Amino acid sequence: MTELLQNLIDGLGRGSIYALLALGVAVIFGVMHLLNFAHGELITVSGYVAFWTINEGWSWYLVAPVIIGTAIVTSLVIERVAFSRVRGSSDFTLLLTSFGVHFVVSAIFLLYVSASVKTFSEPGWVANTFPVGSLNVEVYDAVVIGVTLVTLLGTSWLVQRTMFGLALRAAAADFDTARLMGVRSDTVIRGAFALSGLLAGIAGVFWLMRSGHTTPTVGITPMLKGVLAALIGGLGSLRGAVLGGFVLGLAEVLLRSRLPDSVASLTEGFVFLLIALLFIFRPQGLIRVAHAERV
Amino acid sequence: MAEPRRPDAAHAGMFPNLRRDVAFPIVGVGLLFGVFIAFGLLYQSYFGGAGERLVTTAMINAIIVLGIQIYVGNTGVLSFGHIGFGAIAGYTFAIFAIAPAEKVKRIPDAPLGLTDVDMGSWGAVGVAIAVTVVVAFFVGIGLARSGAESGAVAATVITLALLFVTHEVARHWPELTGGERAGLSFRIGGKLDTRVPIYLALAGALVLARLFAQSRRGRLAKAGREDDLAARAMGVNPLVQQMIALLTSVAVVSVGASLKVYEDGSLLPEDFFFFFTLLTLTMLIVGGRNSVTGALFGVAVITVGRELARRMGQDGFEVFGLGLDSEPLDWIFRENLQTVFLGVAMLGFMIWRPKGILSDWEFDEWLYRRFTRTQSAPPVPQATMGADQEARLEVSDVSVVFGGFQALSRSGFEVSSGEVVGIIGPNGAGKTTMLNVITGLVPATSGQVKLNGVDLIGTPSHEVARAGLVRTFQNLRLFGSLTVRENVEVTRLVAIAEHDDRSTPETDVLVAAAGLWDHRDRRASELDYGNSRRLELARAAAARPLFLLLDEPTSGMSDTESLAMVEQVQTMAALVGAGVVVIDHDLDFIIGICDRIYCLDRGSVIATGTPEEIQADPSVQAAYLGSSAT
Repeated sequence: MTELLQNLIDGLGRGSIYALLALGVAVIFGVMHLLNFAHGELITVSGYVAFWTINEGWSWYLVAPVIIGTAIVTSLVIERVAFSRVRGSSDFTLLLTSFGVHFVVSAIFLLYVSASVKTFSEPGWVANTFPVGSLNVEVYDAVVIGVTLVTLLGTSWLVQRTMFGLALRAAAADFDTARLMGVRSDTVIRGAFALSGLLAGIAGVFWLMRSGHTTPTVGITPMLKGVLAALIGGLGSLRGAVLGGFVLGLAEVLLRSRLPDSVASLTEGFVFLLIALLFIFRPQGLIRVAHAERV
Repeated sequence: MAEPRRPDAAHAGMFPNLRRDVAFPIVGVGLLFGVFIAFGLLYQSYFGGAGERLVTTAMINAIIVLGIQIYVGNTGVLSFGHIGFGAIAGYTFAIFAIAPAEKVKRIPDAPLGLTDVDMGSWGAVGVAIAVTVVVAFFVGIGLARSGAESGAVAATVITLALLFVTHEVARHWPELTGGERAGLSFRIGGKLDTRVPIYLALAGALVLARLFAQSRRGRLAKAGREDDLAARAMGVNPLVQQMIALLTSVAVVSVGASLKVYEDGSLLPEDFFFFFTLLTLTMLIVGGRNSVTGALFGVAVITVGRELARRMGQDGFEVFGLGLDSEPLDWIFRENLQTVFLGVAMLGFMIWRPKGILSDWEFDEWLYRRFTRTQSAPPVPQATMGADQEARLEVSDVSVVFGGFQALSRSGFEVSSGEVVGIIGPNGAGKTTMLNVITGLVPATSGQVKLNGVDLIGTPSHEVARAGLVRTFQNLRLFGSLTVRENVEVTRLVAIAEHDDRSTPETDVLVAAAGLWDHRDRRASELDYGNSRRLELARAAAARPLFLLLDEPTSGMSDTESLAMVEQVQTMAALVGAGVVVIDHDLDFIIGICDRIYCLDRGSVIATGTPEEIQADPSVQAAYLGSSAT
């Protein structure tokens, strides 16, 4: 029982980050029908910012907002340079465009920084724990879960209660009609990229705090988690993305602790396998987004 | 369904036209192969040893890229997983091909006693193909289950998952794969003594890729790529074609991967992962993914470009003998420039030319067109071919409820061969829903659709089409990047498999009958509106249906065009001997063509009769003009 509770907390901590990443992926998918394989690049860029600033002696409290700002700006720049030019293209083109962005960004760091791992120090409290009953809760997990909850509430307010949120939802439901009704496509798409950048920035701060290093391809793993979580939840559904994030986090933690030692190193492989199976039996993900094709 | 299926019918349709689909492609591919090899030999004679390796690598990459092209090009499904299949093939090949004495050093405890297996390279290639194809079969079932269709996101993610699963297994199962760092190694000089196997494999891959594209299977797959729903409505089951394309494709990739492993002399998990996926996909896309010529061209362009970028990264402009190794340019001419080059190539092409340099241009098709340009239109026979087929379609008591909205309530109609029956009614009356129910696109809440007494409710779309009910679409769903001829040919291929070959009119006859002879080699997407409508009609007729179901064939047409359409529909129906059900709200057109008319309003049949009776019926006038008109 204790072990299960412990897993649950670990899984929620991990799932929180995935949920933030997945939400960013889902927001973009909603407005552009783009599955963004370049989402992880926001974290790659943030990683180098962390490397440069922390090693200059900046404190994490200062670095965190800088990282979030960087992620937002990067997201907007990527939209401007690449995605704005393929709006309305086929899914095939969109997918490969994001794949291309991923490679260009990582290649630029490869070219101008280096392929080697760049490290920076994590904040001291990351590894601290505090006891709750018989459990040991990491301060890090508590902070991540707390901040994620606040962020999700804020996002929910933004999406449900503001004009921008209304435009976003309208665009996700039917982009062309939304435009005809006076929603400005530039505004809503850029807004979506900014929001996605913000969420990735927050997730990035936590991701980097824990990992303490960056490389040109550091973004692949968070990108995959975000994309997979969004898919698990049902692409296009924001609630689904958040749910998918938590499900993925919990699944990983549970698998890792339950699998026999001999195959524990294959946890990631098993997770992919489970996801592929999910797709086979429920291709629309956990939350089905209705969309009909007119014939 | 009226006549028994001829056992040799499917075989007869393997290649619709032997000259065009076999002879020309083989000649064309032979020439391409010659040019590619000549270019390679020229290059290596100039650059020596390093050049030789580059050319060998390019040829092996070409085999793999052609393999990917067979799947991605023909089905339109973007696969990130083919390099994962490559990994499976590569490891299988290595494990079976490496001598036990070598294996003991790296993988002494391989499961299933694989350490002691000594098979030799040729046998190992066979095993690699077999193992990979079996895995691909299961992945293919998964793809089919997920409803893979052109550009489908789920399919992309499943294939990506495959890439990661194989990578994870390769990294974390050192007993079998030698793990992440050590890997597997041949240590037998690594290189092939001769390039003959590579030449053979490349030539084989080219021929296979081209013939697949021209074959019946390939053509049906391409129909699915262009429009999944329309392909189904024409009797094509894209999932079957996708599976066959996948297995063929994976077999070719397996050969390429085995050669790569042998030539590299070693194998690490990283060799078949993200970077190689990027490289091969970029090659495929830059040249033109829908064309074999394009894929080969892409391999050449990217190989040369990447090599240039690599040299410039090292030596700046000195490559060109200009000696311009100037410092201001150092920021761009750096090592790893080639990686940036690949990413930028992929991104740039997606933004400015997503279909690649050659798009779907195919060398041998171009040759063939040059040889047949002056061909004249075949005569269109007047005789009815359908005198032998008697059929009856009875639709009764069909109800459809969407949420709380009753789209159809206990409606129906009947039609026999030789008849033209019209269904009219104001917008929202349920006319298109009726067709969607009949063709299996929308499930009926209740009711029956009987064709010659057999109930078709619940039958999948493509089987309804094969049973003899083929439709057109109100909002035009042609196979856009296929030519006019190919559009017609696809459905004709279905008809040939289903009916007697000789009684299905030739593609060219149908094209001529539709008045599209002069446009025969143009892409369907380039046609104007009227011609597009005519092509939809010809395409549906080519399936040699018992009944043609036409959804607003005159929508958006001028009055003169709609009148011409009356004749067109009659000619086509007579040509293939089909009865006709036509939906429209153009009363002049309907009255001009129909023997009997059903009038629908708010989901129910409110009147039936001859055109004259319908015109005189007050309830019809009320439905059309509002009740005050009575």
